Amino acid sequence: MIWPIATLELAPLFSWLRGLLVDLGLSEVWVTSISYLALGAIIFGVLALLALFLVWWERKIAAHIQQRFGPMRHGWHGWYQTLMDALKLLQKEDVVIESRDKVVFFWAPVLCFMAAFLAYVVMPWGENLIVADLNIGILYIMAITTFTVISLVMAGWGSNNKYALLGGMRSAAQVVSYEIPMVVSVLTIIVFVGSLSMVDIVKAQSGLMFNWFIFKVPFGPIAFITYIIAATAEANRTPFDIPEAEQELVAGYNVEYSGMKFAMFFLAEFINLFTVSAVATTLFLGGWNGWEFIPSWGWFLIKTLGVVLLLMLFRWTYPRLRVDQLMEFAWKFLIPLTFANLILGGIIKYLGWHW
Amino acid sequence: MTRQELASYIVEKYGDLMKPLESGKYDPLFVVEVDKLVDIAQKLKDDENLKFDYFCNLCGVDTNENFEAVYNVASITKNLRLDFKVILPYDKAEVESLQSVWPAIGWYEREMWELYGINVKNHGNLTRFLLPDDWDQGFPMRKNWDAPDFKRMPEK
Amino acid sequence: MADLRTEEFVVNMGPQHPSTHGVCRLVLTMDGEKVVKIEPVIGYLHRAIEKVCENRTYMQCIPILDRFEYVTSMSCNYVFSLATERIAEMEVPERAEYLRVIMLELNRIASHLLFYGVTAMDIGALTPFLYGLRERELIIDLFEMTCGQRLTYNYIRIGGVSRDIPKEFEPKCREAIKIISEKMADYEGLLNENPIWLKRTKGVAVLPKELAIAYGVSGPVLRASGVQYDLRKNDPYCIYDRFDFDIPVGQNGDCFDRYMLRLNEIRESIKIITQALDGLPEGDIKNKKSRMTYKAPAGETYTRIENSRGEMGIYLISDGGKKPLRVKAKGASFNHIQVLPHFGTNMFIADLVANFATLDVIMPEVDR
Repeated sequence: MIWPIATLELAPLFSWLRGLLVDLGLSEVWVTSISYLALGAIIFGVLALLALFLVWWERKIAAHIQQRFGPMRHGWHGWYQTLMDALKLLQKEDVVIESRDKVVFFWAPVLCFMAAFLAYVVMPWGENLIVADLNIGILYIMAITTFTVISLVMAGWGSNNKYALLGGMRSAAQVVSYEIPMVVSVLTIIVFVGSLSMVDIVKAQSGLMFNWFIFKVPFGPIAFITYIIAATAEANRTPFDIPEAEQELVAGYNVEYSGMKFAMFFLAEFINLFTVSAVATTLFLGGWNGWEFIPSWGWFLIKTLGVVLLLMLFRWTYPRLRVDQLMEFAWKFLIPLTFANLILGGIIKYLGWHW
Repeated sequence: MTRQELASYIVEKYGDLMKPLESGKYDPLFVVEVDKLVDIAQKLKDDENLKFDYFCNLCGVDTNENFEAVYNVASITKNLRLDFKVILPYDKAEVESLQSVWPAIGWYEREMWELYGINVKNHGNLTRFLLPDDWDQGFPMRKNWDAPDFKRMPEK
Repeated sequence: MADLRTEEFVVNMGPQHPSTHGVCRLVLTMDGEKVVKIEPVIGYLHRAIEKVCENRTYMQCIPILDRFEYVTSMSCNYVFSLATERIAEMEVPERAEYLRVIMLELNRIASHLLFYGVTAMDIGALTPFLYGLRERELIIDLFEMTCGQRLTYNYIRIGGVSRDIPKEFEPKCREAIKIISEKMADYEGLLNENPIWLKRTKGVAVLPKELAIAYGVSGPVLRASGVQYDLRKNDPYCIYDRFDFDIPVGQNGDCFDRYMLRLNEIRESIKIITQALDGLPEGDIKNKKSRMTYKAPAGETYTRIENSRGEMGIYLISDGGKKPLRVKAKGASFNHIQVLPHFGTNMFIADLVANFATLDVIMPEVDR
């Protein structure tokens, strides 16, 4: 039986749980399964809270950029405002249109939500704080985050609404285009690590700042920038938020969704934002590595939230690109640049010119 | 050209077609005959000294005695302004469309047709757009029109 | 590869849509993302203002006409007052004329600031919206201080203005226009050199000069197409001929020119306001004949002024009675929507949104 690595870090909790379950007289299989479930529940809870926090944070950042206060009523600077919003959305009537495609319409938000969480199976939150160190970790994350686009197309199709359909189509086109520079930027790093495992990637940059791949790898900054641009597009955020461009398509793919189904899309969007930032942290910013005085998961959170902040600043500063300009940017600029970067990096690696 | 010069120029050159009206207060106002309307409009636009190329406004009027259609035009190149109107009897409220001269007039003619019932010949797109599509209560801007719940100010 | 069978489809943009600025409905025939045909449908905001005016006294018409174009309702007040004054050949006191100019230009700035914010938001930048509204608030406060209203002012009356400005108006006004002229650098810094903004606006939705004139397009949209035609200079009203200001003109008639031109107009308006505040004389603010039961003598006139969207006109016919015989209100947006199908097609839906935003259409002016 393989135990989740995260249980090492959370050993006191899990040994207590294990003792409790064994005392209840359950077999080993049951004990393991329930432990996994408990871990899943912990990750789910942490991520849900994180998503709520990110919504609040984004609102505050937007407000302060725009010289407003933002939410101020609930708690200190409105800290539980989004919790209340989520509760409100939970209670809201689920308005559905008659002409929807029932199956597709129902499963789209569920899939979106699911795909957003699945990426965290291999996410290294800290030293020994990872559910499963798959040897294809980064590939798994790339695959599972792209899964989101299927749910967006499903939402667009199932809504039976032309705006939603346009939004779904746009998101498909966008993700297909930006997946390539994203993966190629990641490959630039992988070439130097020689492993797809997330833990290996982080361990390869152990130490302080100049061991992180953004500085260590030749052309690391370029790879970082191209990754961030592609990640912004992946997370459907301004200036690449054309799938839900509210001024053009009202709300794009989620125009017909309300209540909890809308909340699932909404929270999944913020979890995706956190995911792409976390991947950027892991690949380029040294993951959990840092000075000793903060625990490893603390460094991971700080760096990831820093990247999130960067993406939020983009959102509240830039206008939105047009759909053809978006494609043009990906295919004519970003993809050639990332490939050139990868090839140069590969040559340098082959010749051994790096430290 | 000042307003007086414009008025006297038009009287001199198109005096047989356009008659000046005293009621026009600031810019010169003329009255033209309805069957010569397109002809005059074209002439005003083509005249070398006038060049009325810019259409400002078309206004239907119900004066309690007859209908009028007032055309307000301007010239950007020569910086002039001119009004002219046609007087239409109630039983024959019909004008020719001037879209061939000033394309901008299209929607104004539609509005006049819709609110006054002044027919516009050769318009091509006389459909309702301000009132509801299924409006069947006549022409609301006419003076004799009364909506069931419309309160008029009492005359003293 | 076998030919794909494609099909045009119809999208209803509006009447409730975030970027149609009110209740305009555009029936779009689309080929994928491209707009093939636009058919504007208006009339959702028709309030029969013209009919209502026929049943009000002259003074009562003014607050009704506030609603004709509520973003710059000072202009609506003014154009009706001016029409009545022209029919009656009424004198207006000097101080009232200066106050009118100050109010009209402040209102123009407020409207252009709203335009700045809304256009940026339509192109996807959310922050400028708040910046534009922030400075607009200063002007709205000035109006509130003067006439107690923030949107529909009912301030400019026949023969003058309704009341004098309070003492603290002048310093506050100077401070406000100082802040605005300082903040102009912020507005331009945020967008003018932003490559995304330039890509979205430069060369997009070019309105050719000939088409603009033929369809009666006016105001900033006409000037952006390269026609120097501003009624404040070309058909002077009020006391605009006393002030020194320029008319900005664009060259290309694209979205960027229309946007830039309005920002430049804010600067010119600031110039006018400064001059008007400097030259503000003491004296009456209202003609003695101006009363609530004012009756104009018989006559008719078409009066037009340059408001922030273009030519705003009133055709006023008086038969000498208590009530006007006919009040026809013409708004520039009516022509702007009319011309849209003729140059707004064959572009992406995102460009249509940018185009519609830079036309600065406001629906109450179209439907009345």
